[in-house]
Amino acid sequence: MNIVGPDYLVFGVDDLADAIEYLTAWGLKPVDVTDRGGLFETLDGTGVIIRHKSDPSLPPPLPTSNMLRQQVYGVRSAADLDAIEAELGKDRRVTRLSNGSIEVKDDHGFELKFQVTIRRELDMPAEKINAPGAPAQRKPNEIGVWEEMPALPRTLSHVVLFVPDIEIATNFYCSRLGFVITDVLKGAGPFLRPKANDDHHTLFFIRTPDYMKGCEHLAFHMGGPTELMVAGTRFVKKGYQSFWGPGRHKFGSNWFWYFNSPLGCHFEYDADMDKHDDSWVAREAPMGAESSQIVLFEMREKWAPGGPPPGAKG
Amino acid sequence: MSSHAAPTGFQQQGQRLCHRDDVAEGEARGFGPLEGSKRKVIVVRRNGALHAWLDACPHYSTGTPMAWKTDAYLNGERTHLTCHSHHALFEMDTGQCILGPCLGQSLTRIEIAVGEAGDVFVVAPCEGGVA
Ligand code: FES
Ligand SMILES: [Fe+2]
Repeated sequence: MNIVGPDYLVFGVDDLADAIEYLTAWGLKPVDVTDRGGLFETLDGTGVIIRHKSDPSLPPPLPTSNMLRQQVYGVRSAADLDAIEAELGKDRRVTRLSNGSIEVKDDHGFELKFQVTIRRELDMPAEKINAPGAPAQRKPNEIGVWEEMPALPRTLSHVVLFVPDIEIATNFYCSRLGFVITDVLKGAGPFLRPKANDDHHTLFFIRTPDYMKGCEHLAFHMGGPTELMVAGTRFVKKGYQSFWGPGRHKFGSNWFWYFNSPLGCHFEYDADMDKHDDSWVAREAPMGAESSQIVLFEMREKWAPGGPPPGAKG
Repeated sequence: MSSHAAPTGFQQQGQRLCHRDDVAEGEARGFGPLEGSKRKVIVVRRNGALHAWLDACPHYSTGTPMAWKTDAYLNGERTHLTCHSHHALFEMDTGQCILGPCLGQSLTRIEIAVGEAGDVFVVAPCEGGVA
């Protein structure tokens, strides 16, 4: 089963205008968005779909205050859809839609959809750095930052779910769908990557009581830590609320910056995540402030030191 | 004065938050943070009365800011104060969480008084609230 990762996350929101404003400011591109909602795309076509929570076209809500309605996974080919249908059809209803995609629930009742991925291949440079001892990545006269530099989400990176039972969740995604555990934060849960994606994680679970079940955050890959901090700084300047970061996680090594949202979960810019193959042996660490980040910063207003003290003669 | 643990520090008493006309019926706005505090104070008007709450969601022990954007503290229906981290809903006039991660917990009330010119000040916490 060649699952690539999340193509779309679908939300049923209580104020469409707020969500449309937020997703646009986040750096996503509205595609066919009307007053009934629509799709907001990253650069590779993955993204977020919003509808009003009363929209009858939405899958049913979770029995909590969470607004997540469906996770749409991309797979490599139609054969992978057949394989998923055969496997999950053993013990649950799998609905085949007219376009070939399939809909099904996981063991916690999260609505899933699988489709041949809509991801467009990106061809863009990563952030380039220069360091003594290594060949320069930027040519002479090539500058690293400028005021209007682009800093847009490139792809939907990962989803983090609050789930009441880690074992049930892990079993479903690993034993039934072929996800691999890359690392474990004990007390929270495991990081998972699907077979056809070498990112450290596209999915992570956090154990919570039943009444919190839902999406904790979704994350978007940026071109590097500078783009992440530029995008986050612009977002804060527009009045949006930082929650955690910027910083850099230990497991996955990805830079992070989390923000509150009107979609009932956090939105994260992330950058420079580790890649893994099947030879990797999962690590374990107890959940806590030390294990979850190597560095953490908090944004402050721009400031600069001057030369002489104020009022000095000279 | 109450002998309970004060939700505001001594140095915050007497600090001005806003004018009473700054917050219309059914609206919420953030002011501050007050000197000596990291968090803003949310002032909300419900059925004519002003209530003030620390902008600190009780889901995590440190308390985290609740808006998704400056002054955006309400849910889409504008019926509840909302933490836009994980969509916990709180009653505007009691601070009680009625849905979401902090179910059964409550926001921290900031005791306020309105001066003659209509300015809203933080006052010492007192048993039973202020008229
Ligand atoms: S931090 Fe407020 S609901 Fe989780
Ligand atoms: Fe993340």
